[in-house]
Amino acid sequence: MADDTFMSVKREKINWSPTIDYSKCDFCMECDKFCPHQVFERREEAPKLIVANPYNCVVFCRACAKTCGPDAISFPSKPETIAAIKKIREEEGEQ
Amino acid sequence: MKRAILPCNGLDKQQGVLARELALRLMETQGAEVICPVLLNNSPARYEKALADASLLVIDGCPTRCASKLANKLGLRVDDKVLVSEEAKSAGLDVGESLRPGSVGMQLVEVMEAGLARAQELAVSEEPATDFESPTDYLTVTYDKFIFKIPAQGYLFNENDCWVQAVGSRARVGVSDFVQQSLTDITYFEPAEVGREIEQFDEIGSLESGKSMMDALSPVSGRIVAVNSQLVDSPELVNEDPYGRGWIAEIELTDFDSDKELLLDAAAYSMIVEKKAAEAQR
Repeated sequence: MADDTFMSVKREKINWSPTIDYSKCDFCMECDKFCPHQVFERREEAPKLIVANPYNCVVFCRACAKTCGPDAISFPSKPETIAAIKKIREEEGEQ
Repeated sequence: MKRAILPCNGLDKQQGVLARELALRLMETQGAEVICPVLLNNSPARYEKALADASLLVIDGCPTRCASKLANKLGLRVDDKVLVSEEAKSAGLDVGESLRPGSVGMQLVEVMEAGLARAQELAVSEEPATDFESPTDYLTVTYDKFIFKIPAQGYLFNENDCWVQAVGSRARVGVSDFVQQSLTDITYFEPAEVGREIEQFDEIGSLESGKSMMDALSPVSGRIVAVNSQLVDSPELVNEDPYGRGWIAEIELTDFDSDKELLLDAAAYSMIVEKKAAEAQR
């Protein structure tokens, strides 16, 4: 998804993806089973689950966190991400 | 109508224990029939009669939502849902980790019972206040055997496939035709809470089908002044008429000009749908 954008901003410039708290995660893989965008990746070695493709994550979607029994998934602050996207759009609009 | 309750089995976490306790409480106070999830899973026929003429409340303990998944697997029609871990968060109660009901936990059971009683009253009293007209002209995006409709005028969209139709300082929001076709038959709608202040891209309700679930993300910021309570009984309205009778919530707008910076018109959104439809086929 190299050409991927959100509101015309390159996806790589937007800080929005899940973070796994490994002190809580019990590797039930419910998040990975739910996410249709291959954000997570299961591995043989520890940790058994990682956020492998953060830029595949749909900006502002937090649905995987809702499948998490032990509440181990967190996301960046929505208002901060919105402000950052608006700022980038403004700067790129000026060029 | 009689109520049937499908709770979490209550043997893995305190939240599950409380799901079971809430079910037992409602059995005692309302004469509701409690369904054992293990027995239901093994012998669905055992509960056929109880489920046929009752409204079904599903009580999940934690976000693993085993009870919801079981209901989905068996194709049961769910009328109401409670998720104990969410209720604990919003009530600011730390229920601990014991597998016996604790005192804080039982306090939460009372909060949840009162909340359910309030929700039943609210469902009757909410009335949308403004007239919104259904779209007449559509743009269409055709991909493979799918045709996606997008209202040509009067609607704006976010890239998360939700629409807004504003009339003065009020707006209706909902999900696009692309969402309803992607989810296929929508079987459950969970409305947001009326009166809540929301930021742009906050959740304004969630939709579930046999295939998946989705949070609708608000295209606008403001205060939720009404929810479409018809969707609770008839979530299929989102499939039938996503831009009209399938609306999700009404919002009193607070900063529409600023929200518009991150909204698309019909032509721009149709290009997003084209891209997503192609990705979904890959």
